[in-house]
Amino acid sequence: MEDPAEPPLPGPTAVEQSATLEAEPNQNADPETEESEDVDVSAQSADIVPDEANGNNGNNGTDCSGEFVVTMLARSNLEEQAVGTEGTSSPLSEDIAEEAPPLQSHRDEDVMAESWRQHRKHVFVLSEAGKPIYSRYGSEEALSSTMGVMMALVSFVQSGDNMIRSVYSEEHTVVFLQKGPLVLVCVSNSRQSEQQLRAELLYVYYQIISMLTQASIARIFEHKKNYDLRRLLAGSEKILDGLLNLVDWDPSFLLAAVHCLPLPSSLRDSLSQTLQKAITPNLVFSILIAKNQLVTIVQEKTVIEDARLEPADVHLLLNLIGASSAFQAGEIWTPICLPLFNPDCYFYAYISYLDPPECTVCLLLLSTDKEAFYAVAECKRRIEEAMVAQNSLSLIAKAQSYSVSQVGVSDLRHFMYKPFDVPDNHHQLTQFTSPEMEAPYSSDEEKMRLLDLYRYMHSRIHSSSRPLKLIYHVAERETLLAWVTSKFELYTCFSPLVTKACAITAITKLLRWIKKEEDRLFIRYPPKYSTTPNPSKSSRKSEQQDSTDNGFMSLL
Amino acid sequence: MPEVSKMKKPDVKVVILGDTSVGKTSLLHRYTERKFRDTISTVGGAFYLKQWGPYNISIWDTAGREQFHGLGSMYCRGAAAIILTYDVTNWQSLAEIEERFLSLTDTANNDCIYAIVGNKADLTDPQAQLTVATDGLTDDQGEGGEQRMKLQVPPACPTPPASPASPSSLLKQVGHDEATALYGRILRYKGLDEKSSLPADRMCFETSAKTGYNVDALFETLFDLVLPSILRKRNENQWSPTVDLEDYREANGKRRGCC
Repeated sequence: MEDPAEPPLPGPTAVEQSATLEAEPNQNADPETEESEDVDVSAQSADIVPDEANGNNGNNGTDCSGEFVVTMLARSNLEEQAVGTEGTSSPLSEDIAEEAPPLQSHRDEDVMAESWRQHRKHVFVLSEAGKPIYSRYGSEEALSSTMGVMMALVSFVQSGDNMIRSVYSEEHTVVFLQKGPLVLVCVSNSRQSEQQLRAELLYVYYQIISMLTQASIARIFEHKKNYDLRRLLAGSEKILDGLLNLVDWDPSFLLAAVHCLPLPSSLRDSLSQTLQKAITPNLVFSILIAKNQLVTIVQEKTVIEDARLEPADVHLLLNLIGASSAFQAGEIWTPICLPLFNPDCYFYAYISYLDPPECTVCLLLLSTDKEAFYAVAECKRRIEEAMVAQNSLSLIAKAQSYSVSQVGVSDLRHFMYKPFDVPDNHHQLTQFTSPEMEAPYSSDEEKMRLLDLYRYMHSRIHSSSRPLKLIYHVAERETLLAWVTSKFELYTCFSPLVTKACAITAITKLLRWIKKEEDRLFIRYPPKYSTTPNPSKSSRKSEQQDSTDNGFMSLL
Repeated sequence: MPEVSKMKKPDVKVVILGDTSVGKTSLLHRYTERKFRDTISTVGGAFYLKQWGPYNISIWDTAGREQFHGLGSMYCRGAAAIILTYDVTNWQSLAEIEERFLSLTDTANNDCIYAIVGNKADLTDPQAQLTVATDGLTDDQGEGGEQRMKLQVPPACPTPPASPASPSSLLKQVGHDEATALYGRILRYKGLDEKSSLPADRMCFETSAKTGYNVDALFETLFDLVLPSILRKRNENQWSPTVDLEDYREANGKRRGCC
């Protein structure tokens, strides 16, 4: 966060040069034909998808030994069973309408119905023995033959010492992810890239791990190959449903970064201090969340030296909280594994809302001690008291996401800005900032359309075959510019009439604005505490690290 | 708002156990919030503090999923009452009580009382569908000293009686006899004498969280029954050799003037 305002210094001309350099093919091609593909033109998706397929095919075939991509354009057996390509209507508009009411149960859907086939994105989880574990839509039992076909594909390719990664058809992308004894499959007509879809499957896998741990899943299947994992996951389907819903609607997942609630830094600091003071042995993370966004996070310092808290783990925690909010008056105590932190161990999470009955401010305390409920609940009492004394709840209630108009750049409709890990001496949680989605992106359809455009930009920037640094994309109803440097990743959306020069000036202004506001927009220095009189075995490190940390602490 | 009651130390612990989807959270929700709502599968356990007259009763609503099995004995430690819940339309859920949950109760108090509760009675029993109207009356009596859990009477009609689930298609799979037989086996497992223990017909309930049938009766009976346990605990606390830092209010009040 040192100087997000600096990069634009090369000035518009330099940027433009790099634009033409990096994104040349896009610039020269007629923007209308190559770039302006839009929601209702389903024919174009067919152009793009096989194109991506070929790109990946070449790439993976040469780069990743032992893995290859099966490109199947004809209707395969799988498709007839599971995918179906008959629906020719706009893949987006229809499915959004269906998905709009979040967290609806799709368990009872008729899997033979056309509407089932037309879902934008199916996700299936099965065991290596071909046993269904989870399906986003429809019941697993009804889909057991479909999943059997999927497993047949996986094992057929496996028998040749290879690994199936994806299948492309005219309208669908089928992506496979094998993780230990689990096979995850995504069947999508969302036109997202294979990489993105695989990243989403990985979130699903991690969410399962967060509930069961990798070690116990491995142990179970070692013991009994055809174990029905639904026994252990029964009741957790809604957590996975909720996750997939978030993955579709919340760009945090795409950016692998955490969105924090904009807050005056003085308020954030005082909240952090409150958390910092209310500690008990074996407490490792204290996290305050408001309106599903991060307010502050305080970490145990010896533990955090071992491993940093990854955005994905925070996403899983936020999803868990969202999914367990049905009965909000109580105090929850539950084991949870943070898969990126340590996939084999549980933390014990204390979850409680501080503002019943509204339930927007949530305290999450993670301990390594299973028995610590009462001690941790006591920490909550202290935090609550301090927050009442400081009137923090009403201050938090006033905090809001901001409007893009505050940036003061006309033509700029929306943006997402993700700075990279800046204070170098300190592993910081990757964050991003983004204004509210406002008109014309206020309806669910339009929101999803913008998110899809961002996903498209993201896939171009992060394409494995031809990564780009900058892309200027003239779409039908807006113009987008995405730019990645060593310091940040930025996605902007402008009105369609903006010129390239204008857009670049606007970005310079935007970056200055962010620099000015960064104390409010980001958690700058996540504070730490020390609660380990008897630190858990893994969390000891050299003394010198300790001292550097103390040095850092004294700066706070 | 609720700080006053939150600072109070629970006097006694009640734990709700049972297979997944038998309606543990719904039962508690019906009792405390006076309404029925679709709940999401509980993760881990949820802790509630209920004021019962001058006493604070902590209630642990646990997850029925096998996934959280490891935590069960922790929730049950020192429990004064355990509610073992099954679904009257699902025989397996009764069997699970014996197979999975009974062993978790080993950490409970020696004088712990057990209630066997068959939920979802509205699906099989016309009587359980009809109690909606009278439910409101018993509510008010039960609300005596309640502060923390607000009385929330649904504005218009409280839960349409047994709506779509077509009760006729759901056969009652667990009869009252089977529940009382299980109660007897639990007493034997605990090495308790049937004659000196609470009688089975008093401790086996059929309830409906959906209509509210028998829900108040269940909790209120239990709370009344654990009162002796509370009083004894308070007495013991005064003799307790362990310093309890949190308990400055009641028992140790005399000895610690500083707070």
